[in-house]
Amino acid sequence: MKFSKVMAVGLSVAMVLGMTACGSSSSDTPAPSDNAAQPATEGEAAAESSGKRPVIGITLPTQELARCQKDQEYMTEYLNELGYDVDVQFAKGDAATQVNEIENMITNGVAGVIISPWDGGALTTAVQQCHDAGIPVIAYDANVLDTEYIDYFVTDDLVGIGRQQGQFIIDALDCDNSEETHTIELFGGDYGDASAKMFWSGAMEVLDPYIDNGKLEVVSGQREYEICAVAEWSATKSQERMDTLLSTYYVDKRIDAVLTQNDDLAAGAISALKSVGYGTDDQPMPVITGMDCTISALKSINAGDQSMTIYKDIRQLARHASDIMDSLVKGEEPDLSDVELTTYDNGVKEVTATKVPSLVLTKENMDELVFDSGYYTREEVELEQ
Amino acid sequence: METTKKSIFSGNLRQMGMIIALVIITLGFGIATEGTLFRPMNVSNIFMQNSFEIILAIGMFFCMLTGGNVDLSVGSIVGLAGAIMAVLTLNFHLPTSVAVIITITAGLLVGVVQGSFIAFLNVPPFIATLAGELICRGLCQLILGGQTLSPFSAGFQYFANGFVARDMKVGGINVVCLLAFVIVVFALVFSEVNKRRNRQKHGFPVQNLYITVAKLAAIIAVVTFILWNLSAYNGMPFILVVMAVLALVYSFIANKTTVGRHIYMMGGNIQAAKLSGVRTKWMMFLVYTNSALMATIAGLAVTGRLNAATPKAGTGYELDAIAACVIGGVDGASGSVMGAILGACVMAILNNGMSILGIGTDMQSVIKGCILLLAVSFDIYLKNKSKNN
Repeated sequence: MKFSKVMAVGLSVAMVLGMTACGSSSSDTPAPSDNAAQPATEGEAAAESSGKRPVIGITLPTQELARCQKDQEYMTEYLNELGYDVDVQFAKGDAATQVNEIENMITNGVAGVIISPWDGGALTTAVQQCHDAGIPVIAYDANVLDTEYIDYFVTDDLVGIGRQQGQFIIDALDCDNSEETHTIELFGGDYGDASAKMFWSGAMEVLDPYIDNGKLEVVSGQREYEICAVAEWSATKSQERMDTLLSTYYVDKRIDAVLTQNDDLAAGAISALKSVGYGTDDQPMPVITGMDCTISALKSINAGDQSMTIYKDIRQLARHASDIMDSLVKGEEPDLSDVELTTYDNGVKEVTATKVPSLVLTKENMDELVFDSGYYTREEVELEQ
Repeated sequence: METTKKSIFSGNLRQMGMIIALVIITLGFGIATEGTLFRPMNVSNIFMQNSFEIILAIGMFFCMLTGGNVDLSVGSIVGLAGAIMAVLTLNFHLPTSVAVIITITAGLLVGVVQGSFIAFLNVPPFIATLAGELICRGLCQLILGGQTLSPFSAGFQYFANGFVARDMKVGGINVVCLLAFVIVVFALVFSEVNKRRNRQKHGFPVQNLYITVAKLAAIIAVVTFILWNLSAYNGMPFILVVMAVLALVYSFIANKTTVGRHIYMMGGNIQAAKLSGVRTKWMMFLVYTNSALMATIAGLAVTGRLNAATPKAGTGYELDAIAACVIGGVDGASGSVMGAILGACVMAILNNGMSILGIGTDMQSVIKGCILLLAVSFDIYLKNKSKNN
């Protein structure tokens, strides 16, 4: 029958076409373990010739945090120096997106992956796949939890940062030498953020003795981390909480200090304080802490609203990350002899972590830390000097 | 047996247009990524990264079929399903299978509640599901206490990340993929032959034989390509099997059951349907309960893949599902399950291709929005054209 003959011919053609198409693509990567050995490709324009430099994939949590721009800038610079190209992806604040990006980096044949997690608890499958493909992975700035395949965690001295914030308040209010009771409110970071817990523990380590012996008073009584944690480090939520605290507890009292553990939280608190009249000569701003050294925080410190921020030397972080990744890609043990180390428990193992010391930045040392060092230029921060 | 040029093109142009668009996009990205898109690992990834897209699109399809209605709560239900699953297995230490049953029951409950408000209290679906979205998202965050909970058992992860019999090979080809190939080819040929014979029997014009064969050949080529690549990587993803089963079941329901027919009628003209004896209230109820069920299944897949339940899981998924349906040619009165799935595939390839090319997620949103607009405009243009024919 003509019908079945045509069918038969047509179907055979289909199968041949399908096979040819498959044949040409399966010659690329027949098995996952071959991916790592494959000539690396440039992230953006996947070129397949073996003459290109190996690529390190860097996944950052979001493009909206100013520090992530700096992370990208310095890591790209140092990795380029070491002979790598980089493929930087931003996860737009979504865990699933970050997992997809890591998978796609593996498909693209990267030589190593540096993960700055948006959500450290949601990356186990992605890290597993990197491990299966033979690609080294390190955690950057926030730890990757519940997996044994992270060998190094490049970060600041997290607890130390909290201590610096707490100590700044103590010193600014001169608690050791005065008998007065000062009032204070406490704002922590995102509850699910493992690093936020570290900052909090450091700060409370310093502040708790003074709260206990009455030199510092948390008028609202809100001292537990769960209550003081501000979701997503959000400035808006911080402002809302400050508004409520001020209208409930500080109607006829003055607030002397606010522990806000990053610049966004500080900004929110400052807005709330200004709207009830703080920041004038007869009602000066309380002591306000911060962290991350954002441009708006620098402006705020210069204007006398925020008291301090924490200067994290992102260049050192990027340096450590680049050097460690370089050693891992070459299959060597990283040389960390001149780096302070500690370990953090990620739920499965104690991960070796770098401890980059941070610095307290105030109006006095802003010039030296930020402008002289080239971290920002005066024009970027738009200060009138 | 009459085959006219007009009937070849006007009737099939919309469907053809959809498929041609998908092919163009796929080839386009394939070339732009210089072949990375077609690597075995990536072909596998495309299915696993976007399984939620397809599952949600199937559920959303029936909602849209009732007359352009949507279900805005599916994203939140995805998150809620993950949250419930996490708390049951990690905090209450229930075995995975028990937790899954409870989670699905909870999802159905949400669907029943929403369906009741919509069907029996006449709350507009948009509003009812908007409320559902808010409530479920809040519940998800409450249950998780704002934290990410993880990890899950290997058994649970298998649903989203596992492969079926990945080491069973025959001559270097995965047995499951081979089996799938054989089944698909026979099913396609059989159904096409059947369709022709039926139409000929009743004197309807049939498509030109050569075009039918060419169409079949093309589809089989694509299926072969996909299965070959899957076999070359880790074999058949379990979630793909799940998706295939869902697609078949719901296609059957839509095309071959009374319920399906009735839902189509409702989309055409709900008053006429009511007067013709369609139990519109029950249909609405079923449709929205089903949508919640699909969202729960998608939630299990998403949670299993991430191996974690996050408070923001599923945010925005409802819009992706609507876009997938719309791109797939689904509107108030017409469309097919396959169309919705094709639309979801377009979204999937877009997501994957743009990610490989390193296009920022902000730009990705812009592009997806433009494609959505184009697809709808083209679809409406064709609909008007065939009306005039």
